[in-house]
Amino acid sequence: MARRAIWSGSISFGLVNIPIKMYTATREHEIRFNMLHDQDRARLRRKLVSESTGKEVHPEHIIKGYEFAKNQYVVVQKEELESCAPEKSKAIEITDFVNLAEIGPIYYEKPYYLAPQSAPAGKPYRLLVEAMNKSQKVGIAKMVMHEKEHLVALRPLGDALCLEMMKFADEVVGLDEIDGIPTDVKVGERELKAAIQLVESLSTKFDPEKYHDEYRDCVMKLIHRKAKGEEIHIAPAADKKVGRATDLMAALEASLAQAKSGASSSAANGQGRRRRKSA
Amino acid sequence: MGSAGTVSTKARKDPSPLGSGANAGVIRFGSTTVKLSNLNKVLYPTAGFTKGDMIAYYLGMADFILPHLKGRKLTRKRYPDGVDKLFFFEKNCPSYHPEWVATSRVDSAKRENGLHYCVVENKATLAWLANLAAIEFHTLLSKGEDVTRPTYMVFDLDPGAPATMLDCIRIGFRLKEMMSGFGVECLAKTSGGKGLHIYVPLNTPVTFDQTKSFAHAVARVLEKDDPKSVVSAMKKNLRDGKVFVDWSQNDEHKTTCCVYSLRARERPTVSTPVTWDELANAAKKKNADALIFEAPNVLKRVEKLGDLFAPVLKMKQKLPAL
Repeated sequence: MARRAIWSGSISFGLVNIPIKMYTATREHEIRFNMLHDQDRARLRRKLVSESTGKEVHPEHIIKGYEFAKNQYVVVQKEELESCAPEKSKAIEITDFVNLAEIGPIYYEKPYYLAPQSAPAGKPYRLLVEAMNKSQKVGIAKMVMHEKEHLVALRPLGDALCLEMMKFADEVVGLDEIDGIPTDVKVGERELKAAIQLVESLSTKFDPEKYHDEYRDCVMKLIHRKAKGEEIHIAPAADKKVGRATDLMAALEASLAQAKSGASSSAANGQGRRRRKSA
Repeated sequence: MGSAGTVSTKARKDPSPLGSGANAGVIRFGSTTVKLSNLNKVLYPTAGFTKGDMIAYYLGMADFILPHLKGRKLTRKRYPDGVDKLFFFEKNCPSYHPEWVATSRVDSAKRENGLHYCVVENKATLAWLANLAAIEFHTLLSKGEDVTRPTYMVFDLDPGAPATMLDCIRIGFRLKEMMSGFGVECLAKTSGGKGLHIYVPLNTPVTFDQTKSFAHAVARVLEKDDPKSVVSAMKKNLRDGKVFVDWSQNDEHKTTCCVYSLRARERPTVSTPVTWDELANAAKKKNADALIFEAPNVLKRVEKLGDLFAPVLKMKQKLPAL
């Protein structure tokens, strides 16, 4: 099934310009619950309400304000925001090419696919993919989307271009802010060897298909069963179990008492009754 | 693959791969070859017991231990650098296992594709695992694909110092007699450590739910009967001077040390089946040491006594319906 583009713009590097469409490359599989009223299961909706009048305010009357001091707002219009990045608003301008391996995974935020907007854009698109494949480099660019500037990496993925949304350096927390990471603890050579051996014994090829969100699967199964009208009981009938256990213990106690009175000597000399019921 | 292992003459001149001083070699079981390595590596420093000694022990015991391993999902406790060094439990059969090693899958809460246990069906697998420094063999209580059905019920009697094996014997007899009141027979083996394992062969349709609640009731009755000597709760700090009757191993997911498995203790002791008479004698003479069996003794013992634990595989008993 063809997916719908979420954004369109163009990549530029040097004199080349490639009009592209952008598609999400991942999908959320989180289970979303709706809020219902426990009395009649009616769907509940959020409303935006004015703090001064208590009345609902509709979207066309909503503007943005920045709280620069307690309860003091600077109002900013959409056009004013756009003025901060007038020409960037639709461009992905590649400024640098770097080695892919140099980018630490911590910088990656979310991947997208890019596709050429039209057939004529196919050629420069292909050119960029092949050039990056051959040179083993990825492009670093900035773009503006949803009123935010993003640092992105453009990398080839087979025949396609993949856009990786990235964190800016100041968005990544430094390790110096984390206490307790051991750096001067000595480990023995033999211990290390054994640990490496353990790592190697568990080593395998990374196979993403191997890993599933089992919690989600379980919740979805539960939902499907409930949707089919199956009653689901969580708590076992505790009382019944206790009753049975008590009977069982009474019987075991009786057996032990009998063994003690009747055959107390057999335990001491080990000549227990041999009642083998071998098959 | 019943025939004894023979050695590839290309790899070595000596017909015995083990105990001849060679550090590595290839051993053949029919058409299957197993590479053995680091045979001179000392796994038990106090006893000077090497990996070669261990492989020789397991192969020497093959006729006796294999029936207890066959069809059972196996967890190994591996000591790559010996009993006094780092060890790890291994449930999943390593991905590099030879294709002739049988595996068996079970669902796992942690792994989407389930766990793939190794199953020891023949000598070659036994040798291969021993060569990986798998000292201890722990098996599930179920056999074959039906992992919800145990073939026996087990009690692990574990003495908390200053309680000893002698206390375990006392409680073991009490347990045995309680069961014999229902016409159900028990067998015993040493843990290979300080304790005693009591087995109740079943080999009839039963579930872990049933054996576990039954075993728990047994443990609680033993505790109630003699609270100064017996504890049925897991908590370690309750065990001082008492025998912990561990009933909780009667569980689909838990393993128990297989009979004839070596234990990774200071010396190469073995979880060894013992008769009730032997237990009574040890108790009478207050000689718990008579119940410590090391690998070489066990090899001699089975020659003389055969497999005292054979009934665990064959005897059909039903849990009393209470």
